[in-house]
Amino acid sequence: MRRWIFICFAVVLAGCSEPQQEAGFAGLAGVAENESGVPFLQPGPGDRLTFPGDFGPHPQHRIEWWYLTANLKTADEEPLGLQWTQFRQAIKPRPAGAELPDAINWPLEAAWMAHAAVSFDAQHYFAEKLARGDVGHAGARAAPLAVWLDDWQLEAGSGNEVWRLKVAADGWSYDLSLSVNGEPVAHGDNGFSAKSAGGEGSMYFSLVDLQIEGTVTLGDQTLEVTGKGWFDREWSSQFLKSGQQGWDWFALHLDSGDKLMAFRLREDDGAFRAGTWIPDKGEPVALQPDQLRLHPTNPEAEGFPRQWRLEVPDYGVNLEVSAPPGDYLNSGLYPYWESPVSVSGSHGGVGYMELTGYGE
Amino acid sequence: MTLLAALFSHYRRHPLQLLALAVMIVLATMLWTGVHHLTSQARASLDQSESAVAERQQVVRRDGNPVTVDDFVELRRKGLCVMPWLEISSPEGERVVGVDPLAAGCFQVPGGQEAPWGGELDGRPFVDISEAAELDRDQGSELSLLISEDHTSGDLPSGYQLVPFSVGPDTGELSDSFLLNLDALGVLVLLITALLVRSVYVLGLAQRRDSFALLHRFGVPQGRVNRLLVVEILMLALVCVVPGIWLGRWLATGLGSGFGQALEGLFDQPLYAGQGGSWLVPLVIMMAVVLVACLADFLRPLARGLAGGNRRSGGLVLLVLLAGLALSVWVTDLLWLFIAVAMVFVAAGILAPRLIAWLADWRSGHDRDLQARWRHRELSVLARRLALPLVALQFAMAMVLAVQALVTTFESTFDRWLSQRLEADYYIEVPESADPTLAVDWLADQPELAASGLWHRVIRGRATLLGGKDEGDARVDVFAIGPVGPLVTGWQLFESAPRPWQSLQQGQGVMVNEQLARRQDVKVGQTLQVTLASQSFEFPVLAIYPDYGRPAGEILIHPSVLPADFAAGFQSLSISPGNLSIEDVIDGLQRVWQVEALTIRDNRAIEELASAIFDQTFLLTRAMTTLTLVLAAIALLMMGWVFFSTRAWYFRLLVVWGLSRRQASAQLIRLSVSLTGAVALLALPLGVWLTWVLVHRINPIAFGWSLPMAVYPRFWLELGVLSLLIGLSIALLMSRQLKSPTVAPVNANAMAGGER
Amino acid sequence: MVDSLLSARRLNKQFRSGEEPVPVLVNLSLHLDAGESLALTGRSGSGKSTLLNILCGLEKPDAGVVHVLGETFDTRSMEAGRKADARWGDLRRQQIGVVFQEANLMPALSLLDNVRFRARLAGQSEDECQDWLERLGIGELADRFPDQVSGGQRQRAALAMVFAMKPALILADEPTGSLDRHTAEAVIGQLFDLQTRHGCGLILATHDPELATRCSKHLDLAHLPET
Repeated sequence: MRRWIFICFAVVLAGCSEPQQEAGFAGLAGVAENESGVPFLQPGPGDRLTFPGDFGPHPQHRIEWWYLTANLKTADEEPLGLQWTQFRQAIKPRPAGAELPDAINWPLEAAWMAHAAVSFDAQHYFAEKLARGDVGHAGARAAPLAVWLDDWQLEAGSGNEVWRLKVAADGWSYDLSLSVNGEPVAHGDNGFSAKSAGGEGSMYFSLVDLQIEGTVTLGDQTLEVTGKGWFDREWSSQFLKSGQQGWDWFALHLDSGDKLMAFRLREDDGAFRAGTWIPDKGEPVALQPDQLRLHPTNPEAEGFPRQWRLEVPDYGVNLEVSAPPGDYLNSGLYPYWESPVSVSGSHGGVGYMELTGYGE
Repeated sequence: MTLLAALFSHYRRHPLQLLALAVMIVLATMLWTGVHHLTSQARASLDQSESAVAERQQVVRRDGNPVTVDDFVELRRKGLCVMPWLEISSPEGERVVGVDPLAAGCFQVPGGQEAPWGGELDGRPFVDISEAAELDRDQGSELSLLISEDHTSGDLPSGYQLVPFSVGPDTGELSDSFLLNLDALGVLVLLITALLVRSVYVLGLAQRRDSFALLHRFGVPQGRVNRLLVVEILMLALVCVVPGIWLGRWLATGLGSGFGQALEGLFDQPLYAGQGGSWLVPLVIMMAVVLVACLADFLRPLARGLAGGNRRSGGLVLLVLLAGLALSVWVTDLLWLFIAVAMVFVAAGILAPRLIAWLADWRSGHDRDLQARWRHRELSVLARRLALPLVALQFAMAMVLAVQALVTTFESTFDRWLSQRLEADYYIEVPESADPTLAVDWLADQPELAASGLWHRVIRGRATLLGGKDEGDARVDVFAIGPVGPLVTGWQLFESAPRPWQSLQQGQGVMVNEQLARRQDVKVGQTLQVTLASQSFEFPVLAIYPDYGRPAGEILIHPSVLPADFAAGFQSLSISPGNLSIEDVIDGLQRVWQVEALTIRDNRAIEELASAIFDQTFLLTRAMTTLTLVLAAIALLMMGWVFFSTRAWYFRLLVVWGLSRRQASAQLIRLSVSLTGAVALLALPLGVWLTWVLVHRINPIAFGWSLPMAVYPRFWLELGVLSLLIGLSIALLMSRQLKSPTVAPVNANAMAGGER
Repeated sequence: MVDSLLSARRLNKQFRSGEEPVPVLVNLSLHLDAGESLALTGRSGSGKSTLLNILCGLEKPDAGVVHVLGETFDTRSMEAGRKADARWGDLRRQQIGVVFQEANLMPALSLLDNVRFRARLAGQSEDECQDWLERLGIGELADRFPDQVSGGQRQRAALAMVFAMKPALILADEPTGSLDRHTAEAVIGQLFDLQTRHGCGLILATHDPELATRCSKHLDLAHLPET
């Protein structure tokens, strides 16, 4: 979803602000210029990650997101999937260190959108919130980490090792504490993750080992939950390239302790694939397109493919990935599929799958 | 030749009749469609903005301070669904509302109330709140925080409370009233159309009676002829209604821009194009009108009543008339009122031709002069024979009369309101940075201004009225004026305590506008509890001043009573410089304020502009009524011509008996002018009554306030002259027929001229 | 000549039927003295009505002279039309009675009012009007309206109107043409009776040859030599 959503989102915002510079997908070739002359920065090979700064917002980039997915279990060992995402969309680039606009003027230089979902017992709960940036009710901060929109917020406690995530939607809510283990995993080339053969891409890193516990309330039912989470940070200034139809993204926790991130950007002719193999012990390895095979097992089926084959022959990985029964459409302004998955084949495991661009 | 062709051949022999029928249907369809199209567009536009503020609630601070963006953030972070509503009120009355479409997202819950804002951010009046905030730098504004309906006061953090949201657009009653009146006129246009179409059609039928009888003798069953007549009129209606609708939409588009501009200017209400006005509604309605008008004979009992019926039903019709009149006085329900209007019109329509005929007969019975007796008897025949077009003309005249009175009343009301608000020659905005007291001191020091000029300072803001009629607190506009002088003391007051302006000047009370008085049931002498900023005051009501349909409640006070922390939304100076030139005033103010430029408005120019907008508004109404009148006049002209043709022999008989043509023509003129004059006379009470109903009954029942009722005898005179012109035209047309030596006596057929 | 009631010389009249001129009257002359009656016969379209119209000034001949009741109307004189019209109007109002086949009465006036209207126009007293209706046998119908009485009664009323004006000349255009034979006989009898009794001239257009024989003179328009 991620990038996909922002294309549409930007169109909505275009309706409520000055005519914007970006012209659909055409701005990909270079650096998009704002009318003030300040450019949007475009990630490229050689860009590096810096911490903790990169946990915070990147106001000179057009799009970015904080993205948590979690495969949890209730006290009864029932699986429960959970998602929280907050997107930022810049309308006007702002250089680092520039003065913030005054909230009293209700500036419209950026917009925020938050999504939350719970998948449990073949039911899918989804909620969406929108806000403008720089007013104060939505924002993000690098250290101590905080990302919030209204009363939904992710906030790091002292020491930055335990985070608290609170979401309250209409009729359901969750309140989780997340213990962060391990260092951030940089995808692609030291964090620059190519998104097409031409080299366009985004900055992308993940925290792949989050231990989560807390409560999920669905109606009058409060569930104690524990499990694993996966947290992504990604930012860029590019939208999907023309000819790219949508994307399929997977983040898997394998029973072996290894983790795997893989995605596929479907293009008119074929697809651009990439991923990261994160062994239980050892350094993460960026997977080149030819090291990865990823396709639905029944590509002819209508709608979102629920069964996938994911192979990384170099590491003896041959997986059958499948969504549980149920409809996992996040039916917000821009609907997409976001579901927990179970893994079988060469490895067992759990994970999350996101699908966009299937004519939803 | 098919039977249908045989039937239709009548129109081949009388192409003018067919043309008249067609033109009437086309024109009436055009008129009605045009009006319908515009009113439905306007209504949709109004609904859109009304729904934006319908029964909303807002969050305010308990400490009385205005809410800010910080309050918004605090409430949102508490999980409350609130959205900002930044209303910019410029003194010109332009209204801009800044909203945050992103924050409004939480209002859209399935099955819930509509979001407060759901349209375009195109400045009509909504814009993105960031744009509104930019305007805010130069103009007064007020931020409100709307909260979604599913919250109760219990959800709010301490320090906040819920109050009804009343910062609605000023579309209010005047515009509704305007549209309702347009609707009512639309219905009258339909009625008149029906009458006209029927009169022409009935004439055609009568002329074809012989052919029908012939067909019957040839063995064609009556039912078949009737069915074919239905087919014929259906085809005719369809052929004429469709281009009529097309023309109507074209008319609506043509008038739409002006109408939209007017609507916007008058009621701050933009007209959203492209909505409303489907093809189907006008098509169905006009087809129905034409069919009912032409085929009413098949609906026997009804038709008999309308077509003149028997004499004994006169008493019944009179009863209906009286009942309708009585109902119109007593009912308090809009539907019943409309029924009453319908009763009066139907009864008046049936009675008017009979009354003319009866009066003419009565006169003829008392005439010693046989020529006069003959003329009155002829008048009686005419009134009965031309009943339908006469009634149509009568209705059209009554309508024109009522509309003229209504529009003029609206106009003079509007003018009074304008001149009340724009009394001074110039209006100077106080820049945000400037201290108005410096200006006040400077102005007070100008001897020339004191000797020959007038000025006062205006502070606008908001206040809360405690414990109103509906037990809630009401937000009202505050209008502080000082020094109190001739610029305001000339206002008409509905009610006042003794020496109200002096008391106001001394800060001893408030004046309230008509709307506030009506809604909160405020009386002169009563004490109002007013919260200004953080302080509460008790003020006696000194007077109630007219505010001409403006729906917002307003209090008028002296600036000296405003507490220091009162947040003025907007400040200005109204100045008539007298012998001092306005340039001197500007120089002086720029000096004391130390500013480069001032925003100055020439109130006279504004007044002119507003009047121009107003005229535009009623262009449509006037066009509609005038066209209807023209239509009715043409119909009468045509019917009169056809009827006189059948009567021409008898006028020629006068010549045979030795009258000169000129004398015979004079008789003809006297006759037709008496007829149209009588119609105008009968239209007069109906029109005055209709004015009364529109102004004094429909408006108060529908909207809760009334306009002053006024009559305009000069216009009556104009209408009288017009009716005489119509009569003269008929007579002139007829006189041409008298010249022809080939006029022959026609068969003494009942429909063909031999009747009495 | 001075004594003659009416004389017409070399009257010509033609109509147009499309481009074609259709002569109706060609060099027609006639003469009538007081007390005389003249029958005009001829088929339909032979010009009977046109001639009657010319003889009472309702139409103008293309050429010719009409002397009637001491007035002379000559197409060659340069007399303004309106002045001639006024003289003709005076004659018709006071001295020339015209009776048509039907519709001689104002439908909105009663029979008596019709007669009084006509008498008043002629400057005659209204007092005798009822008498005239009685003399024609329809006295009890005086307050009826034309559409309430029969065709014969209407024509009798028309005669009453004509005689109430005390005319010097009566022009009757098929006055009984729309009546049944019996009624026609009665009405025409009354007409001749009153005409002889009052000594006025009568020109009667008819296509009934038998009726023509009862007149003192006969002019058959169908058999006129076209000279």
